[in-house]
Parts: sequence; C-alpha cells; structure tokens
Amino acid sequence: MRPTSQGPGRALVTVYGVLALAACARGGFEVTTKFHEAPLSYSLALFAGVVYAVATFALATNRRWLAWPTVLTEMVGVLVVGTLSFVAPGLFRLHASVWSWFGVEYLLVPLVLPFLGVTWLRRSGRAAADEATRGAAPDEAAPGAGPAA
Amino acid sequence: MSTLLVWVGVVLSLVLAASAGWHTLRNRPVILRQLLAGAVVEAYLLIQLVVVLVHPAGGGAASGLFWTYVVTQLFVLPLAATWAFAERTRWSSVVLLLGALVVAFLQLRLLQVWGQA
Repeated sequence: MRPTSQGPGRALVTVYGVLALAACARGGFEVTTKFHEAPLSYSLALFAGVVYAVATFALATNRRWLAWPTVLTEMVGVLVVGTLSFVAPGLFRLHASVWSWFGVEYLLVPLVLPFLGVTWLRRSGRAAADEATRGAAPDEAAPGAGPAA
Repeated sequence: MSTLLVWVGVVLSLVLAASAGWHTLRNRPVILRQLLAGAVVEAYLLIQLVVVLVHPAGGGAASGLFWTYVVTQLFVLPLAATWAFAERTRWSSVVLLLGALVVAFLQLRLLQVWGQA
C-alpha cells in the first residue's frame, strides 16, 4: 500500500496546503470585510478555500475516500468558474476567487493541481492494487485501480 | 513599510530556498541545520511584524488586506518545515523549497499590497 502522503505526495500535499492557505485567507478576508458587496462570489471564494483545506487534510492523512471527491470537486470548480469568468464576466466579481480565469493569478496552479491530484491518487492506488494481487492475477490490477481503489 | 525591510526577507528566504534546492538536486532530505535556517527566517518575519506594528507609517497599515498577508506568511515555514522533516527522501527538500519560495513571493506581495492601499 502506497500512502498518498509519502514520496511525491509530500510535495503535492504541500502545494495543496499552500493553496488552502491562500484561498482561505483570501475568501476569509473578502467574506469578513465586504461580504455584502457580492455574497455569492465571496462565498464561492471561501468555498474554494475549504475544498483545498479538506483535500490537503485527506491527502496528508491517507483518506482516499475523502481525497477523491474533494479533488474532483476542485477540478469541476476550477473548470466551471474558470470558463464562466471568460464567457460571462459579469456573473461573478472577476477577482473574487483563486479559480477565476483558471487561477492565472496563481500561475495556473489551480488548473493543473486537480489533474496532478487525480494522477497521484490513481498511481499510488495502483501500487496498492499491484501489491495486493501480486502473483495471483497481475493483469487485472490496472482496471480496478480507478476511483473505487 | 520600508523596501529594505522586505528585501532582506526576500534574500533570506531565497537563501533557504537555494539550500533546499541544492539538497533536492543531491537527492538528500532536509537536515537540522536547514530547520534552524528556517527558524531564522521565521524570526525575521516576526521582527517585521513588530516593526510594522510599532511604526505603521504609510497607507498600507490601514488595509485589512495587508494584515492578512502579514499574518498568513507566518504560518508557511513552520508548517512546511514540520511536514518536510517527517519525510526522509528528496521530496522532503522539495517541500522546504516550495515553502521558502512561497515566503519570498509573499514578501514581494507585501510590498505591492502596501503600495495599493
């Protein structure tokens, strides 16, 4: 079994933690100082921070069942909000969250990160499946190593 | 906020980053001496906080955004160092490298935020 928190996962959790800190600080600041200006946008900004915080916790403590849904939520979030900030710029306050414009203000890290997260969950999960089925049926290890792993 | 106060912080954190980057290249984990260097950078950030508290001259001190940055940056190195030290591979050094680079970046943002207010 390969823990999600070790090896390359150490660095991945670090990047998640940094984004969690950045997004929570930003969302928290916006919600506490100017919430009434744009409640939806600033709630979304804080929500992004919470998603990153939960993903960081899940990956750091090897909780795959929690890591999968949060990483996927994050992926949907950055893709939807990123797209909306281009096609419907009036809908949200543009500078509201780390997901605006696919996270270009954060060197596009928010766009790349969920894909790295999924890749890592699959790879570390497959290593676990390989170990469990070693010697028995090595060919069947790969297909079963998806989200259910 | 004086520019010098920030640039010293940038240089200190980049030295730490260079050290961690060197260990990454040499395939070595973080060592105790690097943690002590990290503590020095952290101490400097605290000094910065005190200086700004005592001498809040300039527009930025009134801005909540500025204080959000000043407080947030204090969390980065202690968390990164703890997280790095528990891993005993090269990825340990990658963690410290990332943490140090983030602090350098936040230092520069401090200067920007100060100017905006």
